[in-house]
Amino acid sequence: MSASNPFSGDNDSARRRETAMRWLLRLGSYFVVFVTVAIFAHISHKGLPALLKPEFPYIDTSFLTELPGTLHVIEDKQGRVTQTSPQEAETIKKQLGNELRSEKTISYAGGGILGPIVGTALLVLVSVTVALFLGVCCAIYLSEYAKKGKFIEMVRLAILNLAGVPSVVFGLFGLGAFVLTAPVLTDLPADRAVFVIPLGFTNLSFQGWDTCVLSGGFTLAFVILPVIITASEQCLQAVPQGFRETSMALGATRWQTIWRSVLPFATPGILTSTILGIARAAGETAPIMFTAALAFKDKLPWQKDLPPLPADAGMFAHWEQSVQRCLGVFTESVQALPYHIYTLAAKIPQNEYSEQAQYGSVFVFLILVASLAATSIWLRIHLRKKYKW
Amino acid sequence: MSPVSQQPASRPLGPLLLRKKGFSLFGITRASLVRRFFSAMASVAIIVLVLIMVFLLRDGAGFLSTYRASLDVYRKSGMELCDLLEQPVREMQDKSTSLLRRALAHELATLTGEAKQRRDAVVVLIGKVQAMSAPERAALEVVLTASAPPETLADPRDQLRQATSRAAMSIPIPSVLSSREVEQFRRELATLTPENTELLPMLTALEAEFARQDTAARAQFAPLSAAVAACEQAPAALYETLVPLHKHARNTKELAQKRLSSRDQPEVHFPDQLKPILDARETLLTRLDDYGSRLKQAQAALPAETRSEEAAELLAQVRELLPEQAVQTAGIREKVLEWDGMHTVSMFHAALGFCFGPHWITNSPWQDFYGVVPLLTGSVLISVIALLIATPLSIAAAVYTSQFASDREKEYIKPVIEFIQAIPSIVLGFIGIALLGDLIKSVSHWPLLAWLPGFPIEERLNMFNAGCLLALMAVPTMFSLAEDALNSVPQSYAAASEALGATKLQTVFRVIVPAALSGILAGILLGLGRVIGETMVVLLVAGNRIAIPDFGDGLGVVFQPAHTLTGIIAQELGEVSRGSGHWQALFMVGILLFIISLVVNWCARAFARRLETPKS
Repeated sequence: MSASNPFSGDNDSARRRETAMRWLLRLGSYFVVFVTVAIFAHISHKGLPALLKPEFPYIDTSFLTELPGTLHVIEDKQGRVTQTSPQEAETIKKQLGNELRSEKTISYAGGGILGPIVGTALLVLVSVTVALFLGVCCAIYLSEYAKKGKFIEMVRLAILNLAGVPSVVFGLFGLGAFVLTAPVLTDLPADRAVFVIPLGFTNLSFQGWDTCVLSGGFTLAFVILPVIITASEQCLQAVPQGFRETSMALGATRWQTIWRSVLPFATPGILTSTILGIARAAGETAPIMFTAALAFKDKLPWQKDLPPLPADAGMFAHWEQSVQRCLGVFTESVQALPYHIYTLAAKIPQNEYSEQAQYGSVFVFLILVASLAATSIWLRIHLRKKYKW
Repeated sequence: MSPVSQQPASRPLGPLLLRKKGFSLFGITRASLVRRFFSAMASVAIIVLVLIMVFLLRDGAGFLSTYRASLDVYRKSGMELCDLLEQPVREMQDKSTSLLRRALAHELATLTGEAKQRRDAVVVLIGKVQAMSAPERAALEVVLTASAPPETLADPRDQLRQATSRAAMSIPIPSVLSSREVEQFRRELATLTPENTELLPMLTALEAEFARQDTAARAQFAPLSAAVAACEQAPAALYETLVPLHKHARNTKELAQKRLSSRDQPEVHFPDQLKPILDARETLLTRLDDYGSRLKQAQAALPAETRSEEAAELLAQVRELLPEQAVQTAGIREKVLEWDGMHTVSMFHAALGFCFGPHWITNSPWQDFYGVVPLLTGSVLISVIALLIATPLSIAAAVYTSQFASDREKEYIKPVIEFIQAIPSIVLGFIGIALLGDLIKSVSHWPLLAWLPGFPIEERLNMFNAGCLLALMAVPTMFSLAEDALNSVPQSYAAASEALGATKLQTVFRVIVPAALSGILAGILLGLGRVIGETMVVLLVAGNRIAIPDFGDGLGVVFQPAHTLTGIIAQELGEVSRGSGHWQALFMVGILLFIISLVVNWCARAFARRLETPKS
């Protein structure tokens, strides 16, 4: 066939080299894809059983609705193994009596992961609220108000650098700033307060918020701030310039223009990128290690022991207490899903009984984070098709 | 607009039409207030960056003076002198004696190898049989501890006996025992019950046989045994002299610490305290010389001939090592003579100690050291491993997707690689502990791969494992930046190249990739930033051994465990008291990380800026 074109030289070796190279590149990209899929499949394969049971309806939600606890593994003389909670372990041991062969306990690995899920949700709530407010305001300035200049250069540089700061350094910052220094209103300032401003009726004491949801949430907010700013700015820039010009031509002020003609069209995009921020905030471990997370807690954040109300307490007292309960959620330290996984992976022995709790938590966590990220990506594609101007 | 109609016609209309209604406070209109609000919000990024630095410095800044003071006491109490003398000697000792002991073991094995093998096999088998009947054994123990009546004991005892004899009959016995011995041993194994408290006769016999051969062998290798003993004993006198000095120095340090914590304590007069140690310096030096001469004697006593090749090799190493050590001893002598206990430690010395100190030792009863080198080496090595793995993969993937892949392939390669970004680092760390560690370890034990450096590996958690996982984390960053850069190369470049007759491959690698190179490099640097700052993966997977990796075994170094800058903060900060030297040291490590991240970011930006220039 080569004879048909007298000008093509002996290209065989070049062609072979080309094919080989092409396959090498293809192999490289498929290797990455394969590894990712394999990790996902491995976690699903090992983690899914934590959410399943052998009988109808096959789905076992107890792993999601129970608090973590100690796992008791009881073996009887026939070699039957029961995994159970501390309370049930007592009754089972009594039933077995002489038939008991051995009992093992594994901390953290029993029960479910409700506490960590709730804790992570609270942390994400605080961090996204703070980051969204600061981030969108910053993006509005960058995209709508800013003129070229030194200040804007510096802001952009700061955002870029903030994105590169290691997460454990954010943890140190959160510890120094929020846990140990942030201001609180209190009648009795602690000794460790950096300084105290007397306000007359009370004191503004810079003694920090202690390890709690608020400290962790604020720390995480600054971790995801660059993501939110960059994405929001892109969304604002994507709104056509004509919208602004039309609005201004009709006599609207700049703020009216932003509020009525720019933000409504940018909001879906901003919210989409927020979801990505949520996924990031939920996945970070190092920033919350010293600012919010606990290895173990046997209560949900709102189950706090408040002094019982007197029997004749009025409605106001009840109301006050429930408000206190709700707000108290933010000043408690909590378990968080990534930190729980760290505890499970690093602090307990690796064996067949701890495996289910480990893989189960990892599976649920991965599904949560991945579905958030997938939703965000899907929405972005969908919105791009919908808003075409 | 009503005001307009009320105005006299002589006044110009323009400014009035443009005037906007609205309140103003101290001359600041609402519009400018809004503007100011947003500009204040925009500066949050700058403020946070500054605040990070401020809070890191607030807790870290005191470190240098604390560390200086601690090192000052360390010197003035004479502890430094003790370490100056003892540490290098101990290191030398460890090296030479371990070589000699291994040589002796090889030599002995040539004569007693078989007897030892037989004895060990029997010990292992006994353990196995006991493990096989463990459930029955445990059951019997439960009954025994419950102090049940004797008649209930018969049943579990019987069960245990049956289980033991079953195990004894079924267990495979290696061929080191002859068939007659196997028969006898199985019979003996069956009697392995708790009532039988005596050692099995077979084991006793083999032990005795081994002991007899061992004594005979030791007699035959008497010169080597003597050399080993001489080498082991060489520094004994030196150590003995040091013991009271240690005690005295530590005492001085405690006095100084007491004085630091409360003013009521008497001030420590260091020159007086140091006097006994300085007085002992001469004795120490004679002991050191004595040690040197003993080393020479030991070398002279080394036997010329050996039975095994391994021993010959090891002895050759010892012969090279001992003269080196004699030279080192002279070096130590000089250092000890030069040492000036009253010379105050400077800030600069403390800073050097932090930046270049080879030890990170905390909570030590002797002296804490905060040298960042072992952590930095770990971080850098892991990052290098990660980059070496991630760079070719991500560039291949980027080139493939942007230049060769069909649209359908693109549709799933890109989302999957971007999906990696969404995998939380703790999940990858868990994969490293639960899956990858064992995988790498078992692969390294394949005989086919034994030629690779460092194989087979012992540690499941090591730098290579962490590097692999971090490579996966870095891939999406590098991939998307590289792909963007490749896609933004103007179409005309490729067209021109193809018009000149270049093949697709030539076009890609000689035209498009070079044009996108600065973008690709920026991606690699940002990937590096991500890798070096990553915490959870290295904390879980890197093995957390605080020591400078031993580069002696070449590339195999990557299979050693290590600790990292990020990992040490995450691991230790939770356990130290606020404001202590250790706490401050961890914040200093944080400052170091912060600076590294700024520098990496700055470099990446510099590369990215070069990318923008040709386009505009």
